[in-house]
Amino acid sequence: MPEERRDWSLRVRDLVKTFKEVRANDGITLRVEPGEVYGLLGPNGAGKSTLVKQVIGLLAPDSGTITLGPYDLVADPDAARQLCSYLPQAQMPIASFRARQAIDITGMIRGGDRDTVTRRRDELIEALDIGEWRDTLGAKLSGGVRRLVGFAMVTACPGRVMVLDEPTNDVDPLRRRLLWQEVRRLGDAGVAVLLVTHNVMEAERAVDRLAVIDRGRLLAEGTPSSLKAEDRGRLRLQVMLGPRVETPALPPFVQLHTRVGHNLMTVVAEAEAAHAIRWAQELMGLGLAEEYALGATTLEDVYIRLTGDVEAAGREAG
Amino acid sequence: MTTLAAPPASALRSGVVYWWHSYRMMLRWEMVSLRMVLVITVIVQILTGAGFVLALGLFFGTVPPRAALFVSTGVLVITLITIGLVLGPQLVAMQKAEKTYDFLWSLPVPRTTAALAWVTTNLILGLPGMAVALGVALLRYDLDLHLSWAVIPAVLLTLFTGTMVGYALAHALGNPMLVAAITQMLIFVIIGFSPINFPADQLPGWLATLHRWLPLAPMADIVRAGLTEGVVEGVARSYLVLGTWAVASVGISAAVLGRRG
Repeated sequence: MPEERRDWSLRVRDLVKTFKEVRANDGITLRVEPGEVYGLLGPNGAGKSTLVKQVIGLLAPDSGTITLGPYDLVADPDAARQLCSYLPQAQMPIASFRARQAIDITGMIRGGDRDTVTRRRDELIEALDIGEWRDTLGAKLSGGVRRLVGFAMVTACPGRVMVLDEPTNDVDPLRRRLLWQEVRRLGDAGVAVLLVTHNVMEAERAVDRLAVIDRGRLLAEGTPSSLKAEDRGRLRLQVMLGPRVETPALPPFVQLHTRVGHNLMTVVAEAEAAHAIRWAQELMGLGLAEEYALGATTLEDVYIRLTGDVEAAGREAG
Repeated sequence: MTTLAAPPASALRSGVVYWWHSYRMMLRWEMVSLRMVLVITVIVQILTGAGFVLALGLFFGTVPPRAALFVSTGVLVITLITIGLVLGPQLVAMQKAEKTYDFLWSLPVPRTTAALAWVTTNLILGLPGMAVALGVALLRYDLDLHLSWAVIPAVLLTLFTGTMVGYALAHALGNPMLVAAITQMLIFVIIGFSPINFPADQLPGWLATLHRWLPLAPMADIVRAGLTEGVVEGVARSYLVLGTWAVASVGISAAVLGRRG
Protein backbone atom coordinates (compact mmCIF):
# COMPACT_ATOMS: atom_id res chain seq x y z
CA MET A 1 0.00 0.00 0.00
CA PRO A 2 1.45 3.44 -0.87
CA GLU A 3 2.54 5.28 2.29
CA GLU A 4 0.32 8.30 1.72
CA ARG A 5 -2.79 6.10 1.49
CA ARG A 6 -2.04 4.07 4.58
CA ASP A 7 -4.18 4.71 7.64
CA TRP A 8 -1.86 6.70 9.89
CA SER A 9 -4.28 7.19 12.74
CA LEU A 10 -2.98 6.84 16.27
CA ARG A 11 -5.07 4.25 18.10
CA VAL A 12 -4.99 3.74 21.84
CA ARG A 13 -7.05 0.81 23.12
CA ASP A 14 -7.93 -0.16 26.70
CA LEU A 15 -4.76 1.36 28.06
CA VAL A 16 -4.02 0.58 31.72
CA LYS A 17 -1.01 1.88 33.61
CA THR A 18 -0.63 1.61 37.36
CA PHE A 19 1.98 3.06 39.68
CA LYS A 20 1.92 0.99 42.87
CA GLU A 21 -1.75 1.22 43.88
CA VAL A 22 -2.75 4.13 41.66
CA ARG A 23 -4.38 3.43 38.30
CA ALA A 24 -2.94 6.42 36.41
CA ASN A 25 -4.61 5.22 33.19
CA ASP A 26 -7.64 3.07 33.73
CA GLY A 27 -8.80 1.64 30.40
CA ILE A 28 -8.35 4.57 28.03
CA THR A 29 -9.38 4.17 24.39
CA LEU A 30 -9.05 6.92 21.82
CA ARG A 31 -8.13 7.51 18.21
CA VAL A 32 -6.44 10.52 16.62
CA GLU A 33 -6.56 10.95 12.86
CA PRO A 34 -3.75 12.44 10.77
CA GLY A 35 -4.31 16.16 10.45
CA GLU A 36 -6.39 16.30 13.60
CA VAL A 37 -5.58 18.43 16.64
CA TYR A 38 -6.79 16.33 19.56
CA GLY A 39 -6.89 17.82 23.06
CA LEU A 40 -6.37 15.86 26.27
CA LEU A 41 -8.02 17.94 28.93
CA GLY A 42 -7.96 17.18 32.61
CA PRO A 43 -6.85 18.41 36.02
CA ASN A 44 -3.34 17.84 37.40
CA GLY A 45 -2.79 14.16 38.13
CA ALA A 46 -5.59 13.08 35.76
CA GLY A 47 -3.24 10.75 33.86
CA LYS A 48 -2.63 12.89 30.75
CA SER A 49 1.17 12.90 30.93
CA THR A 50 1.24 9.19 31.78
CA LEU A 51 -0.80 8.54 28.65
CA VAL A 52 1.45 10.53 26.31
CA LYS A 53 4.63 9.06 27.81
CA GLN A 54 3.33 5.64 26.77
CA VAL A 55 2.63 6.92 23.27
CA ILE A 56 6.22 8.16 22.86
CA GLY A 57 7.73 4.98 24.30
CA LEU A 58 9.02 6.33 27.62
CA LEU A 59 6.64 4.20 29.67
CA ALA A 60 5.22 0.76 28.96
CA PRO A 61 1.54 0.10 29.76
CA ASP A 62 0.42 -2.73 32.03
CA SER A 63 -2.08 -3.72 29.35
CA GLY A 64 -3.69 -2.30 26.25
CA THR A 65 -2.33 -1.37 22.84
CA ILE A 66 -1.00 1.72 21.08
CA THR A 67 -0.59 1.57 17.33
CA LEU A 68 0.37 4.09 14.68
CA GLY A 69 -0.10 3.00 11.08
CA PRO A 70 1.53 -0.40 10.83
CA TYR A 71 3.61 0.06 14.01
CA ASP A 72 2.95 -1.32 17.47
CA LEU A 73 4.35 1.47 19.63
CA VAL A 74 4.25 -0.58 22.85
CA ALA A 75 6.33 -3.41 21.42
CA ASP A 76 8.62 -1.05 19.51
CA PRO A 77 9.56 2.03 21.56
CA ASP A 78 12.28 2.89 19.03
CA ALA A 79 9.57 3.29 16.38
CA ALA A 80 7.58 5.40 18.87
CA ARG A 81 10.50 7.76 19.35
CA GLN A 82 11.14 8.08 15.62
CA LEU A 83 7.52 8.64 14.67
CA CYS A 84 6.46 10.90 17.57
CA SER A 85 7.88 14.31 18.45
CA TYR A 86 7.51 15.38 22.05
CA LEU A 87 7.41 18.82 23.63
CA PRO A 88 7.43 18.17 27.39
CA GLN A 89 5.82 20.43 29.94
CA ALA A 90 9.22 21.25 31.48
CA GLN A 91 11.56 23.73 29.81
CA MET A 92 14.12 22.44 27.33
CA PRO A 93 17.72 21.85 28.54
CA ILE A 94 19.18 24.48 26.20
CA ALA A 95 20.88 26.94 28.58
CA SER A 96 24.13 26.84 26.59
CA PHE A 97 22.55 26.55 23.12
CA ARG A 98 21.86 29.50 20.87
CA ALA A 99 18.20 29.40 19.87
CA ARG A 100 18.84 28.55 16.20
CA GLN A 101 21.47 25.99 17.15
CA ALA A 102 19.04 24.14 19.48
CA ILE A 103 16.48 24.01 16.68
CA ASP A 104 19.04 22.82 14.11
CA ILE A 105 20.56 20.06 16.23
CA THR A 106 17.20 18.72 17.37
CA GLY A 107 15.86 18.82 13.82
CA MET A 108 18.86 16.86 12.58
CA ILE A 109 18.67 14.41 15.50
CA ARG A 110 15.06 13.86 14.43
CA GLY A 111 16.31 12.87 10.99
CA GLY A 112 16.08 16.07 8.98
CA ASP A 113 18.87 16.87 6.53
CA ARG A 114 20.80 20.06 7.13
CA ASP A 115 19.28 22.13 4.30
CA THR A 116 15.67 21.24 5.08
CA VAL A 117 16.15 21.81 8.80
CA THR A 118 17.83 25.18 8.19
CA ARG A 119 14.98 26.31 5.92
CA ARG A 120 12.34 25.09 8.31
CA ARG A 121 14.14 26.72 11.24
CA ASP A 122 14.07 30.08 9.47
CA GLU A 123 10.38 29.64 8.67
CA LEU A 124 9.58 28.78 12.29
CA ILE A 125 11.62 31.64 13.71
CA GLU A 126 9.74 34.03 11.43
CA ALA A 127 6.34 32.44 11.98
CA LEU A 128 6.71 32.54 15.79
CA ASP A 129 8.21 36.05 15.67
CA ILE A 130 11.31 35.16 17.70
CA GLY A 131 13.89 36.48 15.19
CA GLU A 132 15.46 38.90 17.64
CA TRP A 133 16.55 35.96 19.82
CA ARG A 134 17.84 33.64 17.11
CA ASP A 135 21.44 33.94 18.32
CA THR A 136 20.67 34.34 22.02
CA LEU A 137 21.80 31.70 24.51
CA GLY A 138 18.99 29.66 26.06
CA ALA A 139 20.04 30.78 29.55
CA LYS A 140 19.22 34.38 28.59
CA LEU A 141 15.81 33.69 27.05
CA SER A 142 12.60 34.48 28.89
CA GLY A 143 10.40 31.52 29.80
CA GLY A 144 7.97 32.23 26.98
CA VAL A 145 10.60 32.58 24.25
CA ARG A 146 12.37 29.47 25.51
CA ARG A 147 9.05 27.66 25.24
CA LEU A 148 8.66 28.81 21.63
CA VAL A 149 12.21 27.70 20.83
CA GLY A 150 11.32 24.33 22.36
CA PHE A 151 8.28 24.17 20.08
CA ALA A 152 10.48 24.98 17.06
CA MET A 153 13.00 22.32 18.15
CA VAL A 154 10.47 19.50 18.13
CA THR A 155 8.65 20.68 15.01
CA ALA A 156 11.74 21.38 12.87
CA CYS A 157 11.43 17.80 11.68
CA PRO A 158 8.05 16.63 12.94
CA GLY A 159 7.03 13.03 13.32
CA ARG A 160 3.70 11.49 12.34
CA VAL A 161 2.45 12.32 15.81
CA MET A 162 3.23 15.54 17.66
CA VAL A 163 2.76 15.45 21.42
CA LEU A 164 2.56 18.97 22.87
CA ASP A 165 2.34 19.17 26.66
CA GLU A 166 1.10 22.64 27.67
CA PRO A 167 2.86 24.33 24.71
CA THR A 168 1.71 27.86 25.49
CA ASN A 169 2.89 28.02 29.12
CA ASP A 170 4.57 31.41 29.73
CA VAL A 171 3.99 32.51 26.10
CA ASP A 172 2.56 36.00 25.55
CA PRO A 173 -0.96 36.29 24.03
CA LEU A 174 0.23 37.51 20.63
CA ARG A 175 2.73 34.73 20.12
CA ARG A 176 0.26 32.18 21.49
CA ARG A 177 -1.84 32.92 18.47
CA LEU A 178 1.18 32.44 16.20
CA LEU A 179 1.94 29.15 17.90
CA TRP A 180 -1.62 27.89 17.35
CA GLN A 181 -1.32 28.83 13.68
CA GLU A 182 1.79 26.66 13.46
CA VAL A 183 -0.02 23.80 15.22
CA ARG A 184 -2.76 24.07 12.60
CA ARG A 185 -0.14 23.98 9.84
CA LEU A 186 1.25 20.78 11.32
CA GLY A 187 -2.23 19.33 11.11
CA ASP A 188 -2.57 20.48 7.51
CA ALA A 189 0.67 18.65 6.68
CA GLY A 190 -0.86 15.42 7.97
CA VAL A 191 0.55 15.32 11.50
CA ALA A 192 -1.72 14.00 14.26
CA VAL A 193 -1.36 16.50 17.11
CA LEU A 194 -1.96 15.32 20.65
CA LEU A 195 -2.32 18.41 22.80
CA VAL A 196 -2.13 18.04 26.57
CA THR A 197 -3.56 20.95 28.48
CA HIS A 198 -5.58 22.05 31.44
CA ASN A 199 -6.24 25.38 29.80
CA VAL A 200 -9.90 24.94 28.90
CA MET A 201 -10.46 28.22 27.09
CA GLU A 202 -7.46 27.74 24.85
CA ALA A 203 -8.32 24.13 24.11
CA GLU A 204 -11.81 25.15 23.00
CA ARG A 205 -10.35 27.38 20.30
CA ALA A 206 -7.42 25.20 19.22
CA VAL A 207 -8.63 21.62 19.00
CA ASP A 208 -10.73 19.69 16.50
CA ARG A 209 -11.75 17.11 19.08
CA LEU A 210 -10.91 16.56 22.69
CA ALA A 211 -11.14 14.08 25.51
CA VAL A 212 -11.77 15.03 29.13
CA ILE A 213 -9.74 12.79 31.40
CA ASP A 214 -9.90 12.50 35.17
CA ARG A 215 -8.53 9.91 37.57
CA GLY A 216 -7.17 7.87 34.69
CA ARG A 217 -10.50 7.55 32.90
CA LEU A 218 -11.85 9.14 29.75
CA LEU A 219 -15.00 10.93 30.90
CA ALA A 220 -16.13 12.41 27.59
CA GLU A 221 -14.92 12.77 24.04
CA GLY A 222 -16.02 14.81 21.05
CA THR A 223 -15.77 18.15 19.31
CA PRO A 224 -16.06 21.20 21.59
CA SER A 225 -19.56 21.82 20.18
CA SER A 226 -20.74 18.25 20.72
CA LEU A 227 -19.50 18.29 24.30
CA LYS A 228 -21.43 21.49 24.92
CA ALA A 229 -24.58 20.03 23.35
CA GLU A 230 -25.77 18.72 26.70
CA ASP A 231 -25.58 22.26 28.03
CA ARG A 232 -27.85 23.66 25.30
CA GLY A 233 -30.76 25.50 26.78
CA ARG A 234 -28.60 26.71 29.64
CA LEU A 235 -26.81 30.00 30.16
CA ARG A 236 -23.87 31.03 32.24
CA LEU A 237 -24.35 33.92 34.64
CA GLN A 238 -21.06 35.22 35.93
CA VAL A 239 -21.21 37.59 38.90
CA MET A 240 -18.19 39.52 40.12
CA LEU A 241 -18.73 39.88 43.88
CA GLY A 242 -17.32 42.78 45.86
CA PRO A 243 -14.21 42.41 48.02
CA ARG A 244 -14.74 40.26 51.13
CA VAL A 245 -18.34 39.50 50.19
CA GLU A 246 -19.54 36.01 51.12
CA THR A 247 -21.37 33.91 48.53
CA PRO A 248 -25.00 35.14 48.68
CA ALA A 249 -27.96 32.79 49.08
CA LEU A 250 -28.66 31.26 45.67
CA PRO A 251 -32.14 31.34 44.15
CA PRO A 252 -33.64 27.93 43.19
CA PHE A 253 -33.18 28.50 39.44
CA VAL A 254 -29.37 28.32 39.78
CA GLN A 255 -28.53 24.82 38.57
CA LEU A 256 -24.79 24.86 39.22
CA HIS A 257 -22.41 27.26 40.85
CA THR A 258 -18.70 27.58 41.49
CA ARG A 259 -16.72 30.35 43.06
CA VAL A 260 -13.08 31.20 42.52
CA GLY A 261 -11.92 34.35 44.26
CA HIS A 262 -14.54 37.03 43.69
CA ASN A 263 -15.85 35.30 40.62
CA LEU A 264 -19.16 33.48 41.11
CA MET A 265 -20.08 31.39 38.08
CA THR A 266 -23.58 29.99 37.86
CA VAL A 267 -25.50 28.01 35.27
CA VAL A 268 -29.19 28.78 34.72
CA ALA A 269 -31.87 27.62 32.31
CA GLU A 270 -32.46 29.87 29.29
CA ALA A 271 -36.08 30.33 30.36
CA GLU A 272 -34.87 31.84 33.63
CA ALA A 273 -32.69 34.49 31.95
CA ALA A 274 -34.91 37.38 33.02
CA HIS A 275 -34.97 36.17 36.65
CA ALA A 276 -31.24 35.69 36.59
CA ILE A 277 -30.62 39.24 35.39
CA ARG A 278 -32.98 40.62 38.01
CA TRP A 279 -31.19 38.67 40.75
CA ALA A 280 -27.79 39.92 39.59
CA GLN A 281 -29.06 43.50 39.49
CA GLU A 282 -30.39 43.09 43.04
CA LEU A 283 -26.98 41.92 44.20
CA MET A 284 -25.45 45.01 42.60
CA GLY A 285 -28.11 47.18 44.19
CA LEU A 286 -27.23 45.74 47.60
CA GLY A 287 -23.56 46.48 46.94
CA LEU A 288 -22.69 42.75 47.02
CA ALA A 289 -21.71 42.54 43.35
CA GLU A 290 -19.74 44.87 41.09
CA GLU A 291 -20.72 43.52 37.68
CA TYR A 292 -22.28 40.56 35.95
CA ALA A 293 -22.35 38.92 32.54
CA LEU A 294 -24.86 36.52 31.02
CA GLY A 295 -23.77 34.38 28.09
CA ALA A 296 -23.72 30.96 26.45
CA THR A 297 -22.20 28.12 28.43
CA THR A 298 -18.62 27.34 27.48
CA LEU A 299 -16.49 24.25 27.42
CA GLU A 300 -15.30 25.36 30.83
CA ASP A 301 -18.75 24.72 32.29
CA VAL A 302 -18.75 21.26 30.72
CA TYR A 303 -15.29 20.64 32.11
CA ILE A 304 -16.30 21.67 35.63
CA ARG A 305 -19.42 19.54 35.45
CA LEU A 306 -17.36 16.51 34.40
CA THR A 307 -14.33 16.86 36.62
CA GLY A 308 -15.31 19.18 39.43
CA ASP A 309 -11.95 20.90 38.82
CA VAL A 310 -13.06 24.38 39.79
CA GLU A 311 -9.61 25.69 40.56
CA ALA A 312 -8.08 24.99 37.13
CA ALA A 313 -11.08 26.26 35.25
CA GLY A 314 -11.24 29.40 37.34
CA ARG A 315 -7.55 30.07 37.02
CA GLU A 316 -7.67 29.85 33.26
CA ALA A 317 -10.84 31.88 33.05
CA GLY A 318 -9.35 34.66 35.13
CA MET B 1 5.46 26.41 -0.70
CA THR B 2 6.74 25.81 2.80
CA THR B 3 9.14 23.17 4.01
CA LEU B 4 6.33 21.47 5.87
CA ALA B 5 4.09 20.93 2.84
CA ALA B 6 5.17 17.29 2.42
CA PRO B 7 3.71 14.63 4.72
CA PRO B 8 6.00 13.67 7.62
CA ALA B 9 8.43 10.81 7.22
CA SER B 10 6.98 7.39 7.90
CA ALA B 11 9.84 5.01 7.18
CA LEU B 12 11.94 4.06 10.18
CA ARG B 13 15.64 4.78 10.03
CA SER B 14 18.12 2.03 10.86
CA GLY B 15 21.58 0.74 10.00
CA VAL B 16 25.12 2.06 10.24
CA VAL B 17 24.45 5.44 8.60
CA TYR B 18 21.62 6.15 11.06
CA TRP B 19 23.81 5.07 14.00
CA TRP B 20 26.77 7.19 12.91
CA HIS B 21 24.58 10.25 12.25
CA SER B 22 22.93 9.85 15.66
CA TYR B 23 26.30 9.45 17.38
CA ARG B 24 27.67 12.61 15.78
CA MET B 25 24.54 14.58 16.66
CA MET B 26 24.50 13.38 20.27
CA LEU B 27 28.19 14.20 20.64
CA ARG B 28 27.43 17.68 19.33
CA TRP B 29 24.52 17.94 21.76
CA GLU B 30 26.79 16.95 24.68
CA MET B 31 29.57 19.35 23.71
CA VAL B 32 27.20 22.30 23.27
CA SER B 33 25.37 21.39 26.50
CA LEU B 34 28.64 21.58 28.42
CA ARG B 35 29.94 24.63 26.54
CA MET B 36 29.69 26.95 29.52
CA VAL B 37 31.55 24.55 31.80
CA LEU B 38 33.77 22.91 29.20
CA VAL B 39 36.81 25.16 29.55
CA ILE B 40 36.54 25.41 33.32
CA THR B 41 36.19 21.62 33.62
CA VAL B 42 39.28 21.02 31.52
CA ILE B 43 41.21 23.59 33.55
CA VAL B 44 40.08 21.99 36.83
CA GLN B 45 41.15 18.60 35.49
CA ILE B 46 44.56 19.98 34.52
CA LEU B 47 45.02 21.71 37.88
CA THR B 48 43.90 18.61 39.75
CA GLY B 49 46.32 16.38 37.88
CA ALA B 50 49.29 18.75 38.05
CA GLY B 51 48.38 19.75 41.62
CA PHE B 52 48.49 16.17 42.85
CA VAL B 53 51.91 15.60 41.35
CA LEU B 54 53.36 18.85 42.71
CA ALA B 55 51.69 18.58 46.14
CA LEU B 56 53.50 15.32 46.78
CA GLY B 57 56.82 17.18 46.52
CA LEU B 58 55.57 19.94 48.84
CA PHE B 59 54.49 17.41 51.45
CA PHE B 60 57.64 15.37 51.56
CA GLY B 61 60.43 17.50 50.15
CA THR B 62 62.42 14.57 48.90
CA VAL B 63 60.10 12.05 47.30
CA PRO B 64 61.20 8.43 47.02
CA PRO B 65 61.28 7.44 43.32
CA ARG B 66 58.76 4.62 43.81
CA ALA B 67 56.27 6.99 45.49
CA ALA B 68 56.79 9.57 42.72
CA LEU B 69 56.16 6.87 40.13
CA PHE B 70 52.96 5.69 41.82
CA VAL B 71 51.48 9.14 42.28
CA SER B 72 52.48 10.35 38.83
CA THR B 73 50.88 7.37 37.12
CA GLY B 74 47.95 7.04 39.54
CA VAL B 75 46.87 10.63 39.13
CA LEU B 76 46.33 10.00 35.42
CA VAL B 77 43.64 7.49 36.32
CA ILE B 78 42.01 10.00 38.65
CA THR B 79 41.83 12.66 35.93
CA LEU B 80 40.36 10.08 33.54
CA ILE B 81 37.55 8.77 35.72
CA THR B 82 36.35 11.60 37.94
CA ILE B 83 34.20 13.25 35.25
CA GLY B 84 32.44 10.03 34.33
CA LEU B 85 32.07 8.78 37.88
CA VAL B 86 31.24 12.04 39.62
CA LEU B 87 30.17 14.78 37.19
CA GLY B 88 28.17 12.38 34.99
CA PRO B 89 25.78 11.12 37.68
CA GLN B 90 25.39 14.68 39.00
CA LEU B 91 24.42 15.98 35.55
CA VAL B 92 21.84 13.21 35.12
CA ALA B 93 20.49 13.86 38.63
CA MET B 94 20.10 17.51 37.62
CA GLN B 95 18.23 16.52 34.43
CA LYS B 96 15.87 14.42 36.53
CA ALA B 97 15.35 17.21 39.06
CA GLU B 98 14.70 19.78 36.29
CA LYS B 99 12.47 17.30 34.45
CA THR B 100 14.45 17.58 31.23
CA TYR B 101 15.37 13.90 31.40
CA ASP B 102 12.24 12.75 29.55
CA PHE B 103 12.89 15.04 26.59
CA LEU B 104 16.45 13.78 26.19
CA TRP B 105 15.28 10.18 26.26
CA SER B 106 12.47 10.87 23.84
CA LEU B 107 15.00 11.77 21.14
CA PRO B 108 14.99 9.24 18.30
CA VAL B 109 18.55 7.96 18.57
CA PRO B 110 19.89 4.49 19.41
CA ARG B 111 20.65 4.34 23.15
CA THR B 112 24.20 3.21 22.38
CA THR B 113 24.92 6.46 20.54
CA ALA B 114 23.90 8.56 23.55
CA ALA B 115 26.13 6.48 25.83
CA LEU B 116 29.11 6.51 23.47
CA ALA B 117 28.75 10.25 22.88
CA TRP B 118 29.05 10.70 26.64
CA VAL B 119 32.12 8.42 26.78
CA THR B 120 33.69 10.46 23.96
CA THR B 121 32.90 13.68 25.81
CA ASN B 122 34.69 12.28 28.86
CA LEU B 123 37.70 11.44 26.72
CA ILE B 124 37.81 14.99 25.34
CA LEU B 125 37.48 16.45 28.83
CA GLY B 126 39.88 14.03 30.54
CA LEU B 127 42.77 13.73 28.11
CA PRO B 128 44.24 17.25 28.47
CA GLY B 129 44.42 16.89 32.28
CA MET B 130 46.04 13.52 31.90
CA ALA B 131 48.64 14.76 29.42
CA VAL B 132 49.54 17.81 31.51
CA ALA B 133 49.81 15.76 34.71
CA LEU B 134 52.19 13.37 32.96
CA GLY B 135 54.26 16.27 31.60
CA VAL B 136 54.48 17.95 35.01
CA ALA B 137 55.50 14.66 36.62
CA LEU B 138 58.28 14.17 34.08
CA LEU B 139 59.57 17.69 34.68
CA ARG B 140 59.34 17.54 38.48
CA TYR B 141 60.60 14.01 39.14
CA ASP B 142 63.23 11.97 37.43
CA LEU B 143 60.72 9.25 36.49
CA ASP B 144 61.75 5.94 35.03
CA LEU B 145 58.94 5.70 32.47
CA HIS B 146 58.73 3.16 29.67
CA LEU B 147 55.87 4.21 27.45
CA SER B 148 54.35 1.31 25.50
CA TRP B 149 51.41 0.95 23.11
CA ALA B 150 49.60 -0.88 25.90
CA VAL B 151 48.82 2.50 27.41
CA ILE B 152 46.23 3.17 24.69
CA PRO B 153 43.87 0.24 25.46
CA ALA B 154 44.56 0.79 29.17
CA VAL B 155 43.48 4.44 29.02
CA LEU B 156 40.47 3.66 26.84
CA LEU B 157 39.23 0.76 29.00
CA THR B 158 39.76 2.77 32.18
CA LEU B 159 37.87 5.75 30.82
CA PHE B 160 35.11 3.59 29.34
CA THR B 161 34.57 1.59 32.53
CA GLY B 162 34.71 4.63 34.82
CA THR B 163 32.22 6.46 32.60
CA MET B 164 29.86 3.51 32.23
CA VAL B 165 29.86 2.69 35.96
CA GLY B 166 28.89 6.33 36.57
CA TYR B 167 26.32 6.09 33.76
CA ALA B 168 24.69 2.97 35.26
CA LEU B 169 24.67 4.62 38.69
CA ALA B 170 23.18 7.81 37.29
CA HIS B 171 20.31 6.13 35.48
CA ALA B 172 19.59 3.46 38.08
CA LEU B 173 19.20 5.89 40.98
CA GLY B 174 16.18 8.14 41.11
CA ASN B 175 16.97 10.32 44.09
CA PRO B 176 19.31 13.27 43.32
CA MET B 177 20.31 13.60 47.00
CA LEU B 178 21.40 9.97 47.06
CA VAL B 179 23.39 10.49 43.86
CA ALA B 180 25.12 13.52 45.40
CA ALA B 181 25.97 11.55 48.55
CA ILE B 182 27.33 8.57 46.63
CA THR B 183 29.44 10.65 44.27
CA GLN B 184 30.93 12.61 47.19
CA MET B 185 31.81 9.36 48.86
CA LEU B 186 33.30 8.03 45.64
CA ILE B 187 35.73 10.94 45.42
CA PHE B 188 36.78 10.29 49.01
CA VAL B 189 37.33 6.59 48.32
CA ILE B 190 39.13 7.17 45.01
CA ILE B 191 41.61 9.65 46.42
CA GLY B 192 42.12 8.38 49.95
CA PHE B 193 41.30 4.72 50.15
CA SER B 194 42.10 2.99 46.90
CA PRO B 195 45.44 1.74 45.66
CA ILE B 196 45.63 4.20 42.79
CA ASN B 197 48.24 6.63 44.09
CA PHE B 198 50.00 4.10 46.33
CA PRO B 199 50.63 0.32 46.33
CA ALA B 200 47.87 -1.95 47.66
CA ASP B 201 50.17 -3.39 50.36
CA GLN B 202 49.96 -0.06 52.21
CA LEU B 203 46.23 -0.63 52.79
CA PRO B 204 44.77 -2.82 55.58
CA GLY B 205 44.60 -6.43 54.38
CA TRP B 206 40.80 -6.60 54.06
CA LEU B 207 40.63 -3.38 52.05
CA ALA B 208 43.44 -4.52 49.76
CA THR B 209 41.54 -7.78 49.16
CA LEU B 210 38.31 -5.90 48.47
CA HIS B 211 40.10 -3.72 45.92
CA ARG B 212 41.18 -6.81 44.01
CA TRP B 213 37.53 -7.10 42.97
CA LEU B 214 36.65 -3.43 42.60
CA PRO B 215 37.51 -1.58 39.35
CA LEU B 216 39.77 1.15 40.79
CA ALA B 217 42.96 -0.84 41.50
CA PRO B 218 42.82 -2.67 38.14
CA MET B 219 42.48 0.70 36.38
CA ALA B 220 45.64 1.96 38.07
CA ASP B 221 47.42 -1.32 37.34
CA ILE B 222 46.80 -1.39 33.61
CA VAL B 223 47.54 2.30 33.04
CA ARG B 224 50.70 2.03 35.13
CA ALA B 225 51.72 -1.13 33.26
CA GLY B 226 51.48 0.81 30.00
CA LEU B 227 53.85 3.49 31.33
CA THR B 228 56.40 1.49 33.32
CA GLU B 229 58.34 -1.75 33.28
CA GLY B 230 58.57 -4.30 36.07
CA VAL B 231 56.34 -2.33 38.46
CA VAL B 232 52.98 -4.04 37.92
CA GLU B 233 52.22 -7.74 38.14
CA GLY B 234 49.13 -9.64 37.11
CA VAL B 235 48.05 -7.24 34.37
CA ALA B 236 45.96 -9.90 32.61
CA ARG B 237 43.86 -10.38 35.75
CA SER B 238 43.36 -6.61 36.04
CA TYR B 239 42.11 -6.47 32.44
CA LEU B 240 39.74 -9.33 33.22
CA VAL B 241 38.31 -7.71 36.36
CA LEU B 242 37.98 -4.34 34.68
CA GLY B 243 36.48 -5.87 31.55
CA THR B 244 33.89 -7.60 33.72
CA TRP B 245 33.00 -4.27 35.33
CA ALA B 246 32.73 -2.68 31.90
CA VAL B 247 30.36 -5.38 30.64
CA ALA B 248 28.31 -5.30 33.86
CA SER B 249 27.91 -1.52 33.80
CA VAL B 250 26.84 -1.61 30.14
CA GLY B 251 24.36 -4.38 30.98
CA ILE B 252 22.94 -2.48 33.95
CA SER B 253 22.66 0.72 31.89
CA ALA B 254 20.86 -1.14 29.10
CA ALA B 255 18.50 -2.80 31.57
CA VAL B 256 17.72 0.44 33.40
CA LEU B 257 17.21 2.47 30.21
CA GLY B 258 15.10 -0.29 28.67
CA ARG B 259 12.87 -0.58 31.75
CA ARG B 260 10.26 2.01 30.70
CA GLY B 261 8.66 2.46 34.10
